[in-house]
Amino acid sequence: MKTVAKKEFKDLLTEKTFILAIIIQLFIASFSTFLVIGLTSFYDPTALGNVDFEGVNIGVVGTHDDELYNILIENNVHTYLYNDFIPAYGDFFDRKIDAIIVTPLGTAEGTDLLNVDIYLPKSEIKATVISLQLKESLEEYEQSVRDVRTQRLPGYSPIEFNIIKRGVHASSTFFEFVYVALLPLLVFTPAFISGGLIIDFITEEYERKTMDLLLASPASLLEIISGKAILAILIVPLQSFVWMLLLSMNRISISHSLQILLIVTLIASVLVFSSTIIAVFFKDRGVAQLLYSLMLIFLFMSSYLFTNSPLNLVTRLSIDSITAIESWTWTGIYLLLALFLYLATMLVIKKDPHNI
Amino acid sequence: MPGWLTIAKWELMRSKLKFDARSIIMLIISLILVIAASYAASQTGMSMNQKIYLVAFSQPDVQPIIQTDQRFDYMLVDRYEATVYYEYGADMAIIGNNVYLGDTRKAASAGDALENTFKEYREIVLSSYNDINNTHPVWVTVHDLERPQDFQLAGATNTLDELSRGYNRTAGLDNVPGGREATSGTGSVRTGSSTISPEDIEALDAMQGKTFFERQTIATPSNFNPPVPFTAILYAFLFIFPIYFVSQFYSTSLMDERTNRKGELVLIAPLKSRDVVIGKTVPYLVITMAIQAAITLYILKMPSTLADVERVILILAAILPVILLFFALSFYSAILSRSFKELTFASVFLSVVISGYLFFPAMFANIHAISSISPITLIVRLIEGESVPMNTYLFSTLPFYLVAGAVYAFGTSIFREEDLFTQKSIGSKIIDCFEMFLSYRYGSVFFLSIIFIPVVYMTQLMLIVMLFNLPVPYSILAMIILSALAEEIVKSIGIYTLFKRKISEITFKNAIRLSILSGAGFFVGEKAVAVLTLAPIASSAFGTVMTMGALLLVPLLLHVTTIIISSLVMYWKGPDAYKYAVVAATIFHTIYNMTILRGLLF
Repeated sequence: MKTVAKKEFKDLLTEKTFILAIIIQLFIASFSTFLVIGLTSFYDPTALGNVDFEGVNIGVVGTHDDELYNILIENNVHTYLYNDFIPAYGDFFDRKIDAIIVTPLGTAEGTDLLNVDIYLPKSEIKATVISLQLKESLEEYEQSVRDVRTQRLPGYSPIEFNIIKRGVHASSTFFEFVYVALLPLLVFTPAFISGGLIIDFITEEYERKTMDLLLASPASLLEIISGKAILAILIVPLQSFVWMLLLSMNRISISHSLQILLIVTLIASVLVFSSTIIAVFFKDRGVAQLLYSLMLIFLFMSSYLFTNSPLNLVTRLSIDSITAIESWTWTGIYLLLALFLYLATMLVIKKDPHNI
Repeated sequence: MPGWLTIAKWELMRSKLKFDARSIIMLIISLILVIAASYAASQTGMSMNQKIYLVAFSQPDVQPIIQTDQRFDYMLVDRYEATVYYEYGADMAIIGNNVYLGDTRKAASAGDALENTFKEYREIVLSSYNDINNTHPVWVTVHDLERPQDFQLAGATNTLDELSRGYNRTAGLDNVPGGREATSGTGSVRTGSSTISPEDIEALDAMQGKTFFERQTIATPSNFNPPVPFTAILYAFLFIFPIYFVSQFYSTSLMDERTNRKGELVLIAPLKSRDVVIGKTVPYLVITMAIQAAITLYILKMPSTLADVERVILILAAILPVILLFFALSFYSAILSRSFKELTFASVFLSVVISGYLFFPAMFANIHAISSISPITLIVRLIEGESVPMNTYLFSTLPFYLVAGAVYAFGTSIFREEDLFTQKSIGSKIIDCFEMFLSYRYGSVFFLSIIFIPVVYMTQLMLIVMLFNLPVPYSILAMIILSALAEEIVKSIGIYTLFKRKISEITFKNAIRLSILSGAGFFVGEKAVAVLTLAPIASSAFGTVMTMGALLLVPLLLHVTTIIISSLVMYWKGPDAYKYAVVAATIFHTIYNMTILRGLLF
């Protein structure tokens, strides 16, 4: 068993495929940082240093006493007042202003719906920036109209809470993107890859007809396959560890990192044993890989459905949002699952007709 | 019957054999499971953010508000315990009308999240009244207006930009409701929106449900979101996933032929290798196109008018080049790799790269002109009911067609026994392709350089995508160095092949002659690309890097000079010094580009 694992490890290094796998992950990581930067710039425009927000001018078609116009001024939006749409459009076209707002005709005291028309430059990144700038003012405007109008609703009492902010500023979108999406995906990617790798390890021996040669050696089928599986599982925590290290170098602190590594290893075992069963059962690479991918999607989709799915568990552990009892209970559940699949794998191999 | 048709039939028969009853049953079961799980998941918030924040409070009336958001875990405590919430590990406490936050980043973001939860809860409560004039009194209608593009980065306005400034000023007014009448002098001041706001709550719900797949144009301020087109990524996934699966089968089938020399019989048959390749590809292509057609029909619903049919066809036309490129690269990697493991990694790697090329620009659909380099953007636009002009179609798909064509041509040229069934190294197989090409009657480094143009072009576009978010001077700097490197590699690879394989002698005269040919070829191809397709992004700084130089002679001289540098290095040091040769040429090329672009950089 050890020798098989050693042989596979040597093969893995000499074929340079392992290095390719690392490069793939680096690629994914660089894409992720692209996403992070993209997302922060969407939700927190000040994070994007090189776009000049001061330069965004907004034309307002309306009158001096329009409530919306006054709210915009209060919020330090650079506005120009027009009394007609056409001159505003001319200035928009000549890039003197970047958006046009047509204020509604009615007032809060009236009963009609109030329509605000916003004209944004098509296919320009400024459109996003402007929308973000305007959202706050528009919501304020909506709130002030609602303050008047919701009094007409029977039995409605508005909920009012003051959120007292401390010095720390953090957008929940960014925080949740890092800990809910990025971190779990990165630490589990090696496990996903290993699941596919073991299928190649096994089906290759069948398709090249070298399995019979291996079986002629003193090693049994069980030993051969266990050797391959152990290797596939062991390389996972190593890679995940590197990811976590890289993340913490980017000042993303991760709590309970050892327990996270343990969970990743357990999930890697679940995936590797499952795909071992698939590979031994079907022996054809195409079919096995397809089934594995489908299984992966199924598992991924299912983890949306319950709290403490492996990905959610990693998230909660990393930000210290789970009690020790709860987290170890679930770690235990995944351990049992891995053990169960290990036994199932042994059974499938023993029952396999190729087993001499 | 043409030869390729026979092969195509064999291929279909064979794959039928591979799927025995057992695997078909398993596939169907797992497909059903996947669909069921995806459906169940889509009913939830589609995020694995359950219970990531802990909030402590003493009033039970807060509980229903907190429970609407799965992100919050809560603990109901007495008033004193609430004041020392941090001792219980809670991120914040709600006491009376005040929310107290802890001093961690997590607590700050929990506070941000709670603010949104309150807002959403308010919307839920208000929506339960069926009185839209009082609950949702304000509506925002967003209109997109076209105007000439102006990239902040471009210090230099070139002719193309000037051209677009000659944009028809009144044409844009067509998009403004009532705008036309206003110009014609009817005196309608403050042309309001012609859009009618939804009159009741059901319509509001329908609106919110719709925004997932359709571009939001009308909303209340609370639901008013900036155009972040995450739907685009969803489309990309829907379209790309099947391609990925089928191409895996395709490459496995090719690899099958290679292991144990199964494919030798096919090669012995009186067929051209071209027929074999076409025959093996067509069935997979047809299957993928059928799947894509089904997806398109699923998204667009059954077409009823001629315009709808046209849209369906256009979407398929946009996805075809993507499929071809995926297949071409899987085909090539199936020929190159020596084992299944290598093949898996190569195909995963290539899928990641192509997906990146497709996804990231598409994320910025509706936002930035750069997004049109990805065919997925075209699909997003078509689904949203916009029209896609011919030159945009060419701009984003032509590189795909050309690269796929070139890769298939190179791959087919080494679809022969000595490359398929021997353990040759990957490098020497690649060189084999060029050797085959160069030993054709009309093959010359001149045409080789031209063929590589789309490859370089795509690499450079990929670089734009990847470098787009580096701070400005560095991204342009990296872009200059990397695109110079890409250009130098493709220009010199032909000469390297000729020298290495001893097709032409390594003499000083040959080195110069070949350099001039190769450099000129690259120049011709580059200019052709610039004229054909680069217009949409030519005015951005990145575009400037790629098409630099309105003067025709200077770039020609540059291309020839740099290639002379690399071929002379090979002439003096032998073809094995190829790496150094390319580096030397790249350095020179970079220095030249920097001097030209210094205005942009500093």
